[in-house]
Amino acid sequence: MKNLITLLLLSTFYTGLSQVQTGTITGSVKDPSGTPMSYANILIEGLNRGVLTNEEGNFNLSNVPFGKHTIVVSFIGYHTRSKTIEVNKEYTDIQVNFTIQENVENLDEVTVNGKTEKTALETKGFSVNSIETKEAGLRSIQTNELLNTTVGVKIRQNGGLGSNVEYSLNGLSGRSVSIFIDGIPISIYGSSFSLNSIPPSMIKNIEVYKGVVPGHLSSDAVGGAINIVLHEGGKNNLNASVSYGSFNTIQTNLNGAYRFSESGFTVKASAFHNYSDNDYKISGRTIVDIAPNGVQTPIVARRFHDAYRSTGGMAQIGYTNVDWADQFLVGFTASDEYKEVQHGTFVTISPYNGRFLESDALLANLTYQKKNLLAKGLDLNITGVYGKRNRVINDTVAQAYTWAGKRLVGFDGEYLDYIWNSQNENGPTLANIERKVASVRSGLSYTVNDHHKVLFNHVYSGVDREDSDEMVSLLENTFQQTSDLYKNIFSLSYELNTFEDKFKLNAFGKHYWQKVLNTKPVFNEDNTAVIDEIYQSDNDYTGYGFAASFIVIPTITLLTSAEKAIRLPSENEVFGDAGDNLLPNLSIKPETSNNLNIGFRLGKFNFNKHAVTLSSNFFARNIENRIGLPANADGLRESDEFIQYTNLENTAESKGIEAEFFYTYDNNLGFNFNVTRMSLTTVNSGVETNVPNVPLFTMNAGLRYTLKDVFQTNSILNLFYNTYYTDEFTFKFAAGTNTTGEEEFLIPEQVSHDFGLSYTFPKKNFVMSFDVKNIFDQATYDNLSVQKPGRAFYLKLNYIINNF
Amino acid sequence: MKLNFLNFKTLASIILATGLMTSCSSDDTIIDTDPETETPDTEEPVEQDSRWITIAGAKMGENPGDGNGGTLIYSVTSEDAKDPSVQIDPFNNGFVAPSNRTARLQSSEDGNTIFNISYAGDTGGNYTKYTVDGGGTFTQTGSEISIAPYVGTAPRWIKLFDGDKTGAAVYVDTEHQVDDNGTPDDVTDDTYLYTNSTIGVVTLDLVDSQINNFEEHVLTLSDEESAAGYYISRIDMPTLNAAGNKLYIGARVSKIDPATLENDSDYEILGSKTIVLDYPSLLNPTVITSTIGHGNTNGYRSINAFEYSGSVYQANQGDPEGSYILKINADNTYDDTYDFNLDEALGVTGAYVLAWRPAANGKAVLAYRHEGSEEGVAGAQGFFALVDLNARTAVKIDDIPYDPDFYLFQYQGFVVEGSEIYLTQGAVGENGNIYVVDTETGEVTKGAELINATGSHFIGVF
Repeated sequence: MKNLITLLLLSTFYTGLSQVQTGTITGSVKDPSGTPMSYANILIEGLNRGVLTNEEGNFNLSNVPFGKHTIVVSFIGYHTRSKTIEVNKEYTDIQVNFTIQENVENLDEVTVNGKTEKTALETKGFSVNSIETKEAGLRSIQTNELLNTTVGVKIRQNGGLGSNVEYSLNGLSGRSVSIFIDGIPISIYGSSFSLNSIPPSMIKNIEVYKGVVPGHLSSDAVGGAINIVLHEGGKNNLNASVSYGSFNTIQTNLNGAYRFSESGFTVKASAFHNYSDNDYKISGRTIVDIAPNGVQTPIVARRFHDAYRSTGGMAQIGYTNVDWADQFLVGFTASDEYKEVQHGTFVTISPYNGRFLESDALLANLTYQKKNLLAKGLDLNITGVYGKRNRVINDTVAQAYTWAGKRLVGFDGEYLDYIWNSQNENGPTLANIERKVASVRSGLSYTVNDHHKVLFNHVYSGVDREDSDEMVSLLENTFQQTSDLYKNIFSLSYELNTFEDKFKLNAFGKHYWQKVLNTKPVFNEDNTAVIDEIYQSDNDYTGYGFAASFIVIPTITLLTSAEKAIRLPSENEVFGDAGDNLLPNLSIKPETSNNLNIGFRLGKFNFNKHAVTLSSNFFARNIENRIGLPANADGLRESDEFIQYTNLENTAESKGIEAEFFYTYDNNLGFNFNVTRMSLTTVNSGVETNVPNVPLFTMNAGLRYTLKDVFQTNSILNLFYNTYYTDEFTFKFAAGTNTTGEEEFLIPEQVSHDFGLSYTFPKKNFVMSFDVKNIFDQATYDNLSVQKPGRAFYLKLNYIINNF
Repeated sequence: MKLNFLNFKTLASIILATGLMTSCSSDDTIIDTDPETETPDTEEPVEQDSRWITIAGAKMGENPGDGNGGTLIYSVTSEDAKDPSVQIDPFNNGFVAPSNRTARLQSSEDGNTIFNISYAGDTGGNYTKYTVDGGGTFTQTGSEISIAPYVGTAPRWIKLFDGDKTGAAVYVDTEHQVDDNGTPDDVTDDTYLYTNSTIGVVTLDLVDSQINNFEEHVLTLSDEESAAGYYISRIDMPTLNAAGNKLYIGARVSKIDPATLENDSDYEILGSKTIVLDYPSLLNPTVITSTIGHGNTNGYRSINAFEYSGSVYQANQGDPEGSYILKINADNTYDDTYDFNLDEALGVTGAYVLAWRPAANGKAVLAYRHEGSEEGVAGAQGFFALVDLNARTAVKIDDIPYDPDFYLFQYQGFVVEGSEIYLTQGAVGENGNIYVVDTETGEVTKGAELINATGSHFIGVF
């Protein structure tokens, strides 16, 4: 449809041109078997002119000015071909015929769509990256690792598989970044169904919006959003994989969908199971064995209490591509996780042995999507999730251990038990946190015509939380205050598409509404029953933004986006915490951030078999009304005085540049490189300081090479090489010019290298892959003193059937 | 194997070096910022009346005056410390003490050694000692050991006044005891009994870097007090008595509401309490209570109790009548005839002792704030006073300049040299000076200038 319009537009345009010194190019496009290829794209490079082939595979380009021209033919799923011809006085009527070959790699329709969708998404104006999972899904690569190679994204993980992860977008992290699964906040699912556990092969693609987030993904995050798009149903396929590797790591995954073509009845299911001992070797200043008198000997230790297991799945039934629904699916998501905890935030000389976390979630889900509902151009889409999730923190072992994996012998020759009776210094706990969760995302859009579209979106999420701890008395449990959080975010967007598709605009407004219910149990007057006193806080706020793109010429696109983003105060910030001497502050204002992106995208430039794309983005974030504790909080707390969260006068600023470069050669060779360089500062009482513990300079590079017919005809061998660089950064604030002793707080510069290969057997049903991570076994750290796994090997088998 | 083909610093250095080589002019001079280490030959072998004075500064974290950006130390001779023409810039030339949060530093009596136990972070609880070599040079000596397995990674420790031989660190953990009346599922018939405070005390051999002793005890306040919800919630500042056979540990008493077990505020403050243990066995804990003072005795960052003339003098904080200096007699009980209230002595209300230090003559310098303090950038303004423990007098030292941003909450260190006491002065973010107070005459001498950094402040001398 779009192409047709382009064609129409172009032909109108061309007929209007004057006819001096021009010629005509005609020709045909066929596949190797001689079948004419209709609707193939024909482009005269550098002239911004193109046509589509007709039903017979023929094309005609008239009024081509004299000179040398490169004619490029492309068709989705086929290799691009080009020929250079010269139009002059002698040759005014030239015929060029093309035979184009199927691109075996892109056989899968999803990838083809994904590619076009990727480019479409990335040229809308947002600072967004669409990460494809197709290739990675066949390898032993985790979703988090995939995200980490994306420009502007930094993942900081506290150890191996399953350990805690923090996501940073252009330097903003923590609560500044929202993560969604199909538009539903990931916090609804809990840690058992997270980026740590969901395998890439369950994911269609990942969208990373930096700073400016479109209306349909609304959340009160000032840094941006990551949206995990799971595979849609409606296509028959089955894929199963198993990966095994270092540290006794096993990762299995099964995905399948079946649609009865007559009724449209669809069954869709996926399941995963991950396990790892995470018993990798670590060393460093705190990895020591301890003699009874306290003397420490540095050792190389194997982590011994760090196992991780996660199991989960999702099943849905319903109808797809029927009259009344494009998708109507109901189902459930279930997941379960077990994680041993080897140490706290930092790796100290005292490893934990006995602390573990368990979590599970059981949620019902519903999806309804229908295009052209009631009227043409009116699209509706609803996704809802409702259920319960639990988390247990178990820490009741008092015995002290050393990194040698043995019990610590104290100064008196006896085994030492910690005085705090647990591994973590905060004392024994058997905390059980139950949450009833619900989230509904709905979107209604109306396409007025090819130029105008209006979208209305709403996201509701509610968490009803119940805490108890078996290690404290019922009396104490009973009078724990609890907070329930309900959020509604409404957004209205307007999309404009004009100047022959060259200019795109998405302007949006978002209205945030948050309700926090604070339940304070008290005895009734005669102490016969416990009643709940409920305090309520309502907060609402409005934000707005836009994204725009302009195609100067097909190979130059300018992109810009800006948003006034909001972060609503959390329940603690509103209601305080009596146990922590924190007073409520019911009048606290949300944090706001003015976010700006200005970027460009050059390419794709094709010359011969080379193709190059370059894109870059400048970003600026300015956070105001930051919520925090007052400067003298430590002191006030120390003297038992009460404190409260307030909006601080200090602002935070992040500024930087990111750039990405892609190069391909004849679809055999692919190279990509990206770099992010930024600054993050806070300004307080007119004093500007760098925020510590933020990596400011990162680079990633990847190389892929495809060989065909290795060992067997019709097989494909892909070789991969990736390297990651993070500049040194300091855990503490920058010091003076001539100081000493800083090295204690440095997170050193890091370079690590991965290598992988995947082999697709001739029938395309089997893919085997082999990966080596951290080839040179370097000590890498995302966080101070927390070493990540060294060299590791993984072997993976995939079995795929499509369209049975 | 370290494969670093992407070493930008090396590259930058090469470019820089090349640039320098090609454009170097003859008037380049290297400014020596560290004269002490340059001239080791002129240093006297043992100079009787010179002592290293180590200045400590706390760098700002996110807010001016919060001190969360690290602790830097820098040493000069006592002559230089007294010389107002000398400039000292610890924030640019100092040594960053290895502690995640503000380090709690101690120095040997002769000033030649700095002791540190790092507070929080991966090395929290690690004991290190450094030889003071002047300037920003502090050389680590002895083996590193950790008291973290005994008292945690955020230990509260102090060096005992026993000739730099011993350090003591403490830990407390509390547990509320409830009688469920045999019905574990029915909360309405549950009654609060009392709260146990489990205390742990570790002693550390500072010379040979090893653990001397460790004991833990469960303490409960008197029946009446504990039933009302009072309990020891924090302990700190271990101090040896004159005989060296008892260890006093300062305590803070908090209160919960016995009905709901939630923290109480606005309750009647009990008489100041101190835990007394046998030393060195750390056995037989008792709790002594003052009838004079009503407040906590656990101090904050600096030593809160000192032995003088056979008795231990202890400051209290959070006293509704303003801070007192309390006296514990040689018989290890509070001297309820010694009534030294700082509100009365200073003529202010709500006096709060932030740090103090007596000289051998019973005269002390005391850092305090009070209700009339101005609210500066980082909190209430602080002042220094000259105190006489015998005469029970306290006089604000007016020869030291004060500023609303002069903030002493994190103040840690004084140096006593004979009857002279050294201290640091400087508002948050402003340059200051070392001052030397002659406790006999009350004369105040302005010493070396302290160069500050934006948002930072000085936290004392060692």
